[in-house]
Amino acid sequence: MRTRALNPEARLQGPTGMDLWKLLLTLAVAGSSDAFSGSEDSSGRPQFTKCRSPELETFSCYWTDGVHHGFGSPGAVQLFYIRRNTQEWTQEWKECPDYVSAGENSCYFNASYTSIWVPYCIKLTNNGGTVDQKCFSVEEIVQPDPPIGLNWTLLNTSLTGIHADIQVRWEPPSNADVQKGWIVLEYELQYKEINETQWKMMDPVLSTSVPVYSLRLDKEYEVRVRCRQRNSEKYGEFSEVLYVTLPQMSPVPCEEDFRFPWFLIIIFGMFGLTVIFLFMFSKQQRIKMLILPPVPVPKIKGIDPDLFKEGKLEEVNTILAIHDNYKPEFYNDDSWVEFIELDIDDPDEKTEGSDTDRLLSHDHQKLLNILGAKDDDSGRTSCYDPDILEADFHASDGGDGTSEAAQPQRLKGEADLLCLDMKNQNNPPGRDAPPAAGEPGVILAEEGKARPLPLGETESAHHAAHAPLHSPSPLANIDFYAQVSDITPAGSVVLSPGQRNKAGIPQCDAHPEVASLCQANFITDSAYFCEADAKKCIPVAPHVEVAARGEPSFNQEDIYITTESLTTTARRAGTAGPAPGSAMPVPDYTSIHIVQSPQGLVLNATALPRPDKEFLSSCGYVSTDQLNNIMP
Amino acid sequence: MDNKGLSLTGGPFLLVLVLVSSLLLCKNVASMPTCPSGAVSCEVPLGDLFDRAVILSHYIHNLSSEMFSEFDRQYAQDRQFITKAINGCHTSSIPTPEDKEQAQQMHHEDLLNLVLRVLRSWNEPLYHLVMEVRAIQEAPGTQEAPGTQETFAMQEALSTQEALSTQETLGIQETPNDILSRAIEIEDRNKQLLEGMEKIINQVQHGVRRNEAPSPWLGLPSLQEADEDTRLFAFYELIHCLRRDSHKIDNYLKVLKCRIVYDSNC
Repeated sequence: MRTRALNPEARLQGPTGMDLWKLLLTLAVAGSSDAFSGSEDSSGRPQFTKCRSPELETFSCYWTDGVHHGFGSPGAVQLFYIRRNTQEWTQEWKECPDYVSAGENSCYFNASYTSIWVPYCIKLTNNGGTVDQKCFSVEEIVQPDPPIGLNWTLLNTSLTGIHADIQVRWEPPSNADVQKGWIVLEYELQYKEINETQWKMMDPVLSTSVPVYSLRLDKEYEVRVRCRQRNSEKYGEFSEVLYVTLPQMSPVPCEEDFRFPWFLIIIFGMFGLTVIFLFMFSKQQRIKMLILPPVPVPKIKGIDPDLFKEGKLEEVNTILAIHDNYKPEFYNDDSWVEFIELDIDDPDEKTEGSDTDRLLSHDHQKLLNILGAKDDDSGRTSCYDPDILEADFHASDGGDGTSEAAQPQRLKGEADLLCLDMKNQNNPPGRDAPPAAGEPGVILAEEGKARPLPLGETESAHHAAHAPLHSPSPLANIDFYAQVSDITPAGSVVLSPGQRNKAGIPQCDAHPEVASLCQANFITDSAYFCEADAKKCIPVAPHVEVAARGEPSFNQEDIYITTESLTTTARRAGTAGPAPGSAMPVPDYTSIHIVQSPQGLVLNATALPRPDKEFLSSCGYVSTDQLNNIMP
Repeated sequence: MDNKGLSLTGGPFLLVLVLVSSLLLCKNVASMPTCPSGAVSCEVPLGDLFDRAVILSHYIHNLSSEMFSEFDRQYAQDRQFITKAINGCHTSSIPTPEDKEQAQQMHHEDLLNLVLRVLRSWNEPLYHLVMEVRAIQEAPGTQEAPGTQETFAMQEALSTQEALSTQETLGIQETPNDILSRAIEIEDRNKQLLEGMEKIINQVQHGVRRNEAPSPWLGLPSLQEADEDTRLFAFYELIHCLRRDSHKIDNYLKVLKCRIVYDSNC
């Protein structure tokens, strides 16, 4: 059988493995045979198993009857003992006084034969021959009997009615004389639930009662106690098991200690969701505002974006006109913010109704308007400023000269360019009506400023583009809105790119393919550029304009078009344009004539002696202080 | 009468003595009132003395058992000491009760004196044991056993309750964990116990003292044997005897406590 068992492994391991396995198996069998026979050695001799004193007054010794059944006569197994008295051993081995009281194969020494703290030696003989010997002292073999009289009482129950504490009491074993202090016992209690397998142990205690805390009310427990002599290591046997059945305190049995309140959570969750959805889809705007306030979009106080949608420009203008907060914000707080007033003679532009009509007449324009209006960027709204500015300008000043007149127109055109909407898709790039190549780049205030222009301006310019009425400025495809990307320290408003599509000018928002359409004329025309446009035009410009102007400035990757560059551009662009110098009809700088709130600034048309370098050095920006220097 | 006489003639002197004693003791004394060692009229309750004594004796027996187990484990495993015939301990000459009846029949004063005698007999062996264990372990420096500063007198005012752990009562900071430290601790505590026993006897016998000679110990040469086996066996026996005697003393004191303090109803 063994070999058969080996074979599979042998097959696996090979011949040497098989030998090893055989050896191991043989050893295992041999070992197991020993185990089966118990602690007896192979010869089957009687052996002492243990000697025990339960109360330090008597003791007993036990041995195994090593004689195999059926093997010869049992023989007379005898126990002899000897003990030392005072300084001498008694010379004789005495026989066990009581073979009976402690059971079979035992020897019981009663109190008269027991001396504590006295060395004993016992030996076991079988047919005269000593088979085993042992020496000990009685105080070393103390193993008390189990405690008796276990009972328990309920101490208290928890408020939740789930747990309870009990006090378990017992009595020391009857034969242990603890009252006289002859033996001192310590006890160990163990308890467990009935269906558990592991006993929980408590620390040893000296007293005969101990509290057991935190028992579950709905469970049954088993409790048992054992004791040992203090300072000994060996515990006695366990007492009988005490069954603890705790009363059910709560009329309604709790199911669990902690049951996750799913029900409540669901109810409240549903309620909350209902409320939320109700409010979300509610028509009550007020409540909706309360519960879910909308994220405020940037806008000007008092101006309703809806007005833009509807094209009620006059309302917006009035609002802006009367809105004190806006203009001062724009330039009063920041001294370097300046407004430039345009003097535009276009009667169409002046009439408000025509603005609206213009707006409403053209679908694509309307689309642009709508598109523009949807962009709540404040820059766009600021486009409306020049409208008012113009009005005031006209009110205050009237034309400042034909050049001025022309310029404003052109400026307006430029402004239209500047105040462009995002996508001027409808304006085909084919509209490359040559800009006034010779037209001087009208610089409204300082170069590099992209001046926000009102929609009206844009529209007028657009209109102008459509029907070149006033200026050869082919500013077609003008977007109505230009997003202001930044306000320069000097106060100019820099428009963000991508919003114009004029004469094939690429969109400001980075369409490199359109960059090629960047026209020189545009550059030559306007003193204002979208930054992106300028950027776009920069790579293109050199191609186009290098020949024309040898424009180094545009080669620069300037975010801002410097005054220098623009000036040079403007100058070079227009042969008929203003000569560089203070004699230019279109000055690079215009002094501020009046600062009108909220209408803006009114610029002097006259060119002032220009501390070019001073200004130019500041990259196209002129601060108020600088302007003050120029101003007469 | 004596007290009155003292108070009349040496009243101021007594007062000064009391004050000085209290000052000396005040650094070591807890908040509880104590008996100045010089005072005559003060008497610590016997129950407290016994409680203290029992705690000490129990502790000493604990240490002895542990020390024996440790020694057995370390040095005696491969040597079959246990099978050798156990020689008598040097205290075997002192006639002590060997079972419960004998202990109950003995008068408590005799028993107390017996305990005292046994304790005194162990002074010298313990001292040498410490020295030789130190030598055998070849460990030059060992941790000083805690509680060496304490005397029995200082502790006598502390109330001993069953709940108080031995460690708290005896002010043990570090439990000894090897043979040498245990030996040192046992030596110290033995001295403390001796003091306590003397106090108890003073109270019980009202000052009548019996100076009985302690049992002499002659085992020093064996401890210093050159032969390692012999030497180790000598150690083994000595520590075995120590364990036995500490158990004996512990038992006697518990019996006495129950008898005297609790009137045989512990």
